[in-house]
Amino acid sequence: MIRLILAALIFAATTPASAGEKFVVLLDWFTNPDHAPLYVAQELGYFADAGLDVELIAPADPNDPPKLVAAGQADIAISYQPQLHVQVAEGLPLVRIGTLVATPLNSLVVMADGPIHSIADLKGKTVGYSIGGFEDALLRTMLARYNLTLDDITLVNVNFSLSPALIAGHVDAVIGAFRNFELNQMDIVDRPGRAFFVEEEGVPVYDELIFIAHKDKLDDSRLRAFLGAIEAATLYLINHPDEAWKLFIKGRAELDDDLNRRAWRDTLPRFALRPAAFDAGRYERFALFLKEQGLIPEALPAEAYGVELR
Amino acid sequence: MSLSDDSSRLPSPLAARIDNATLTYGGRLLFDGLDFALEEGLWTCLLGPTGVGKTSLLRLFAGLEKPDAGQARAGAVSYMAQQDLLMPWLTVIENTVIGSRLRAEPPDYERARVLLASVGLADRSGDYPRSLSGGMRQRVALARTLMEDRPLVLMDEPFSGLDAITRLRLQSLAVELLRGRTVLLVTHDPLEALRLGDRIHVMAGRPARINKALTPAGDTPRDPADPALLAHQAELLARLTAAADADADAAATAAAAAAAADGGPG
Amino acid sequence: MTLLRPLIVFAGLLALWQIFVSLSGVPPYLLPGPGQVIVTGFDHAGLIAGHAWVTAAEILIGLALGTLLGGASALCLAYFRSARPWLMPILVISQAIPVFALAPLLVLWFGYGMASKVAMAVLIIYFPVTASFFDGLRRTDPGWLDLGQTMNGTPLAILRHIRLPAALPAFASGLRVATAVAPIGAVVGEWVGSSAGLGYLMLHANGRMQIDLMFAALFTLALFAVALYFTIDTILRRALLWQADN
Repeated sequence: MIRLILAALIFAATTPASAGEKFVVLLDWFTNPDHAPLYVAQELGYFADAGLDVELIAPADPNDPPKLVAAGQADIAISYQPQLHVQVAEGLPLVRIGTLVATPLNSLVVMADGPIHSIADLKGKTVGYSIGGFEDALLRTMLARYNLTLDDITLVNVNFSLSPALIAGHVDAVIGAFRNFELNQMDIVDRPGRAFFVEEEGVPVYDELIFIAHKDKLDDSRLRAFLGAIEAATLYLINHPDEAWKLFIKGRAELDDDLNRRAWRDTLPRFALRPAAFDAGRYERFALFLKEQGLIPEALPAEAYGVELR
Repeated sequence: MSLSDDSSRLPSPLAARIDNATLTYGGRLLFDGLDFALEEGLWTCLLGPTGVGKTSLLRLFAGLEKPDAGQARAGAVSYMAQQDLLMPWLTVIENTVIGSRLRAEPPDYERARVLLASVGLADRSGDYPRSLSGGMRQRVALARTLMEDRPLVLMDEPFSGLDAITRLRLQSLAVELLRGRTVLLVTHDPLEALRLGDRIHVMAGRPARINKALTPAGDTPRDPADPALLAHQAELLARLTAAADADADAAATAAAAAAAADGGPG
Repeated sequence: MTLLRPLIVFAGLLALWQIFVSLSGVPPYLLPGPGQVIVTGFDHAGLIAGHAWVTAAEILIGLALGTLLGGASALCLAYFRSARPWLMPILVISQAIPVFALAPLLVLWFGYGMASKVAMAVLIIYFPVTASFFDGLRRTDPGWLDLGQTMNGTPLAILRHIRLPAALPAFASGLRVATAVAPIGAVVGEWVGSSAGLGYLMLHANGRMQIDLMFAALFTLALFAVALYFTIDTILRRALLWQADN
């Protein structure tokens, strides 16, 4: 009897929720212009043309999507390259199959009218962050160029409430702010910020937003079909930015606000024009960087982190 | 309007009295211009059917109620209820001295111990009420009452919750210890009234009247086997029955009148 | 030994957990086994202890302040009829609004240090403490109050010797509830913004996919909460020894 119950529990735990036709894609955060290609693809019917019935789901906790893909509860998740390296090191069976945003978005932001004009000015200051897992690695690298260490600053977890904490003066700087978002947010409330882009301060270049899937399910033809639709949608975005915006907000009036309009403009040049293409060297260099920072025990070859689906 | 029967002893100016009191309770007129005085140094027992207002009268003397009209005069009183009102978080001796604590005076533990000895509980002074029987708890209440050392003691059926033997013992004990004080005992037990009372009144009617006092002969506590006592008991029972019947008639008349008013045409 | 039975239950639950993990093959990044969690806990004992100390302080201070505030409010409600229409709505609102919704505001006002977590804990226990204590004060046996009046007791003495002890059992119920929920307030506060504490450690570990560490922190929190409840309960029982059904 107990075996029956346990078997049922095991079955429930390991059977994917979408046993039917739905192709489940987990976003990394609430719907925002970073997800433009997906929504454009959906509105223009590119997914349907590829034979996919795509369901886009926004999580409340950004830490969930990788776990859910690893557990087989979703087909694809949007995640972050730095976190992927850590997840692979922890044994999650995940792999990058495509790139959404091909540049870093992470930046260190301070008040434009504040006293901090270079990273060196961070000495003795307070830096707010949200739990991502590698903000100290970023800071250590950025500070090291000015002969500072993490002991020269105070780190405070402000948990996604980055610009309010900065504007309210609770912290002198924030790390983990996306340059296409937080800066616009601060402009809108008339408290502009100044950003230091991490890749300009000594951090190796990486993909901010990637598509990840379960590494044992790579022969699912739908993955390649999905990427094809994303590629087509990205081209449409480049070619017809205004029409694309209208498609983005179609039926989603709550997204039509000043912040999103500004973020849209700033994100457009950053989408991967070749979503499926994989720059193995870049991933290996970044893994090495994380290993030097002590975030992962060893830097694995590129195939451990990403594939290029043909 | 009633006065005590024994006109050879005038009410002392220091004793308690109710003058021309009117009191409504729960919408009912309990008293209407009632006069009642207690004779100093005597046990007055008040009998009557349930609901006639005995407890309310006692509470007027205690100062726990104010009459709607008229006055109640009593001075310092000591109060004993049907529940022992012992506080479960205090030991027996602490319960005995609770009055001093409430008046922010230093308690006299020596006197308390003497009083507890006089009620036979000297060896239980450190115990909590929950380990005592009902009879013992009322004895502590008695000690507490004596501790207060007030000239007027008001008792509202304090022994009715006890078994017969305990009740008899406690009645005798109370009489001994409270001798010389003015006591008003409210009870529904005619035998108890006859054993303990110097003056016995029956309270009846709506609004309530207090009948002439019965003054039994002999010293209290009286012997329950005494035939004179039994004769008085018969008389009291008769008065009580008459009062109860009158109540019932009055209630029936009132109900009929109300029904007639409601059940008119339509 | 009264501790034996709860220990057996606890061990049984651990065993069930281990069996489930072993048989179902659920990956450790979703649900680690108890053995792995315990080993990780010992490996990081210093780290966990440091954060546990912070959360413990937040809970204890929050409990103390919330109890004082609640006690004062209950006395206010009991003695000042005119205060009731002002205080009652505040009381109800403090209970009705989910703590999650208020947490970001509190952090904004009180900062990212301990103060906001203490404020959260105070907020979460304010209603249980006040409501139960007020109820106890309101329902003092009228017989005792009559006795006190005939004895010419001063209002302060009647409060101290009659109403407060009589209300203690009701207050104790409220305090027990408060002890059980205060940890929730502190941890939610840490989730919203903090640099230390077990809630913070759990978030951190989760972000780095160190689920076993997250569980170890969670375990420690649960252990502390249980120990706290047990301690308060024992103290209350000693104080209420005179209760007949104790």
